[in-house]
Amino acid sequence: MTEPRSPISTSVPPTPPGIIMPPADVSGMTVEMDPVEYTLRKRLPRKLPKRRNDVYVNMKTDFRAQLSRCQKLLEGGGHREICVHGLGLAINRAINIALQLQASSQGALQLAANTSTVELVDDLEPEDPDEAREPMTRTRNNSAIHIKVFYPDPQ
Amino acid sequence: MYSSCGVGVASIQSQFQVRDSVRTYTGPGENTQIPVGSGVTSAWCPVYHIPPYSDQPTCTVNSVCNTQPNPLPTPLTQPPAALKPGQGGFKKVCRTEEDSPCPFPGLAPGVLEMRVKEGSKIRNLMGFAMARMQGDVAGAGGDSGGGSLRQVIFSGSGRAVTKTITCTEIMKRKVGCLHQLTKLRYKGVREVWESQEGGASEMTVHRTIPSISILLSKDPLDPQEPGYQPPETISALWEEREGADVPQTASKRPLSLSPHSSFPDSKRVCLGLEDGALPQSNPQAN
Repeated sequence: MTEPRSPISTSVPPTPPGIIMPPADVSGMTVEMDPVEYTLRKRLPRKLPKRRNDVYVNMKTDFRAQLSRCQKLLEGGGHREICVHGLGLAINRAINIALQLQASSQGALQLAANTSTVELVDDLEPEDPDEAREPMTRTRNNSAIHIKVFYPDPQ
Repeated sequence: MYSSCGVGVASIQSQFQVRDSVRTYTGPGENTQIPVGSGVTSAWCPVYHIPPYSDQPTCTVNSVCNTQPNPLPTPLTQPPAALKPGQGGFKKVCRTEEDSPCPFPGLAPGVLEMRVKEGSKIRNLMGFAMARMQGDVAGAGGDSGGGSLRQVIFSGSGRAVTKTITCTEIMKRKVGCLHQLTKLRYKGVREVWESQEGGASEMTVHRTIPSISILLSKDPLDPQEPGYQPPETISALWEEREGADVPQTASKRPLSLSPHSSFPDSKRVCLGLEDGALPQSNPQAN
């Protein structure tokens, strides 16, 4: 099995064009509002285990490519189970992949889904380097799903 | 006739694309199947079968029986402008979800089921569900044994799946000690689309969309059931898996979250990152 190690985790651009924080009034001294313009950079999600049979679903890769990758793992790769992970918007696609795998196996595959919360970190970097503002970070939560797609053990 | 149906399907698909902004979502998610019998529109509804993974607006007409002579057969080569939803002229008039059996057999009756739609507000959902689960309304419950529920189901489909999971996660965090059982499946949806020009044609589309149902229970559930998740397994979920495999160094990246996340307000200035352009891509520098 020539499995690409991870097209998901390596192909993340450094920064999407940032969301500009709205300039607030300087006199307000509100810590919440940013007095200057900041660029919002989203850090990558925390790295999770990456085994041969872990598939991290994203929204950039073509759906069929991700689906066929899972199928190859299960059929050609000799894996009895794979784990399909999706975060945020990719939850839908992860579920879709899992259900498609199950449907195409004529009921041989079973699904076991777990949900979790992933803490994400955003960096706020000042646009203007002369201002000597400090970069800030903020954390937020996002939902994730982990679907185990497996052949049940004959008992 | 055939060409007009091409317009119809194309317009629907392009609407999906507009709303979903994910082209490949039209693949399995929009996996359209042949309706068994379209009870909603009996007389003149062409039935389409869109194969999965179809990017092109291909369609198979099963039965086209228009009572009204539909406008002249337009040439097969449609201008691309006709693919736009506004000009395609089909509007969704009705959407019915097919009833599916409860994914959790053997549940006691009277379990609260929260049906999450894509427009539902999380604060509304959680305000209601938390009040019922935490039993603050014990006085109002009266005869139902204290008024505090033991179990709740969150279910949602399509684009509401993410919201459903978010609700579950919030409730698990707030209530604590909740056993969870997650079930995934396809759900059938029948949509009736009506032509806006002339209104002479209608068609029924049968789609299957992914749906999720999550049971949260204060009482223990069967751990052998696929999709079971014991309480407080945020980290255990991964420790168990890491033990079975060689842990990679990348997975150990700490990201030095603890000093930041200990702040109650995440918008605070992060004092640990003062020395210039401390690269976020290298968190071990902290």
